Amino acid sequence: MTTSRLSSWKRNLGSPALAYVDSSIYTDPEIFEHELDKIWRRTWLLALHESELPEIYDYRTLTIAREPVIVIRGEDNQIRAFLNICPHRGALLLREPAGNLKTASPTGSGKHITCMFHSWQFDAQGQCTAIPRRRAGYQERLECSDASLHQVACEVAYGGFVWVHLDGQAPPLAEYIGSAFDDLRPHLEAEPLEVFHHHKAIVSTNYKLWHDTNSEFYHDYMHHFNRVTSMQQPGYFERHYTPFANGHVTVSSMTVKYNAYEHSEHALAESRDLSFPGLERNGWKLLDLFPGMTVNLRGSALRIDTMTPISADKVLIEFRGLGLKSDTPEERRLRVRDHNTIWGPFGRNLPEDLLGVTNQGLGMQVGSEPLHVLHGRQENSAIHDEVGLRCYYQEWSRRMGRSARAPYSDTHLDLYAVRSVGAGEAK
Amino acid sequence: MSIDCDLLVHERRSLAEELIYSGASYLDERNWDAWLELTTPDFHYRIGAYSPEIRREMTWLEHDREGLRALFALLGKHHSDHAVWFRQATLQRVTQESQDTLRAITQVVIYATSVDVGDVHLESGSTRLFAVGRYHDQINWFEGRWLLADRLVQLDTRQLGIGSHNIV
Repeated sequence: MTTSRLSSWKRNLGSPALAYVDSSIYTDPEIFEHELDKIWRRTWLLALHESELPEIYDYRTLTIAREPVIVIRGEDNQIRAFLNICPHRGALLLREPAGNLKTASPTGSGKHITCMFHSWQFDAQGQCTAIPRRRAGYQERLECSDASLHQVACEVAYGGFVWVHLDGQAPPLAEYIGSAFDDLRPHLEAEPLEVFHHHKAIVSTNYKLWHDTNSEFYHDYMHHFNRVTSMQQPGYFERHYTPFANGHVTVSSMTVKYNAYEHSEHALAESRDLSFPGLERNGWKLLDLFPGMTVNLRGSALRIDTMTPISADKVLIEFRGLGLKSDTPEERRLRVRDHNTIWGPFGRNLPEDLLGVTNQGLGMQVGSEPLHVLHGRQENSAIHDEVGLRCYYQEWSRRMGRSARAPYSDTHLDLYAVRSVGAGEAK
Repeated sequence: MSIDCDLLVHERRSLAEELIYSGASYLDERNWDAWLELTTPDFHYRIGAYSPEIRREMTWLEHDREGLRALFALLGKHHSDHAVWFRQATLQRVTQESQDTLRAITQVVIYATSVDVGDVHLESGSTRLFAVGRYHDQINWFEGRWLLADRLVQLDTRQLGIGSHNIV
């Protein structure tokens, strides 16, 4: 087989010693299906925040790796997760994104999940409580106790976030997170948090490209806001990455100078002390969690990104903003404004980030000639180092059993040999 | 100067239509200065949406008049979707709250004709629905003119693709 000039150009940028991945990992539908099986159905995922379920019988619905899931606060105040599927005939049970079971459905009683199809009922702990005309139809062959909802692993931790793992044999969440949250926990666990913002975007790109963007700051050149408020300010180039076991990475803090953005109303924020407990005023810490979650604490607002991969070239991204439950109305107004000025759907940064990964999706389309995508910046883990990407793809390769650098080869599984905190305890 | 009597129904409807529709036209043209001329000095602007996911009203953008002026001035420093927007506005109702204050609710449908986002070889020139929602306007009699004093854009659409640096 001969190598075309196009292929040669796409695979020969700089020295062969530069770290890169093969773009097939972003474009191959078969690899995507393996990712759902080997990663998304087998890792802890940040699903939502407990403040989205403030009352008993509150629930949220979502989809993980094509499996519909209910997260519900039971009458014992415990939050649990179940597949949102009726065991009878496979119908979706709860249809709304959120609600409360106290309201009876048209064909079921309150405080229960009722399948609209044949009125099978389940309590908030997943136990089947009613099968209409069960004895007449199933005689002794089926009891309610045979028909519980399928429970999936669920924990509430690290600032009240609700984590879900589809595999019932999941190791404890703490093993998966390791010490990656240690730097943020004092700010997020000192007092209860509350979500104030949620929006979502379906973007035509591979999900990993969004996480890549969240895992490197070199792209700050794209953002006028970040250039003037951060990159041109003291401390920016002293920020550094710390890789952790299981593909997680943190970024250390700096002080953001909000009023450097011309005419910015953020000048107001600089004159206030509104922050998070223990966080320096206008500090900025970030945590990227494998396989696609980001905890971004900047100034007065906390942003959480989560993803639902749809296909090799499409992803749903959800954006949450959080403040403190104890906020006064004025404090909350400032947090909302600060969050959305940058990160809302009409913010100054978010459309640029989403445009950037959309353009990557266009440059690396399903079926296109593979490209070597560079992850090779090495600056002693300082802010423009791409060690966050290398850490991620080391874990990706381990879980996938194939190298991100050569996904169709049997070799190079130890892709970059990134030295991570807690690496000996990887789960 | 203030108005010393209630407006007739057709009078208040007519002046609200003139103000809101010409404003939509200026926004379509990105004639920001002309649009700001239709607002009072203490104008307040907000884009809101209700999230059934978190069951809360949200504020997605909020500015006073000077904040909007700064936002417009800095547009050129950002990488944006430059789709051409077409705001189809339909005034639903106008009420007179006092002699110098009107309230108006207007349906707005925003279409976007693609210029530079997506595979432009395939998509440029195509038109898609960007968002639907309503303007909730307060219109005040100010120095001899009826002007926008407050606008809440309440969006029904909550998925906006990559979002926008514009106002709605």
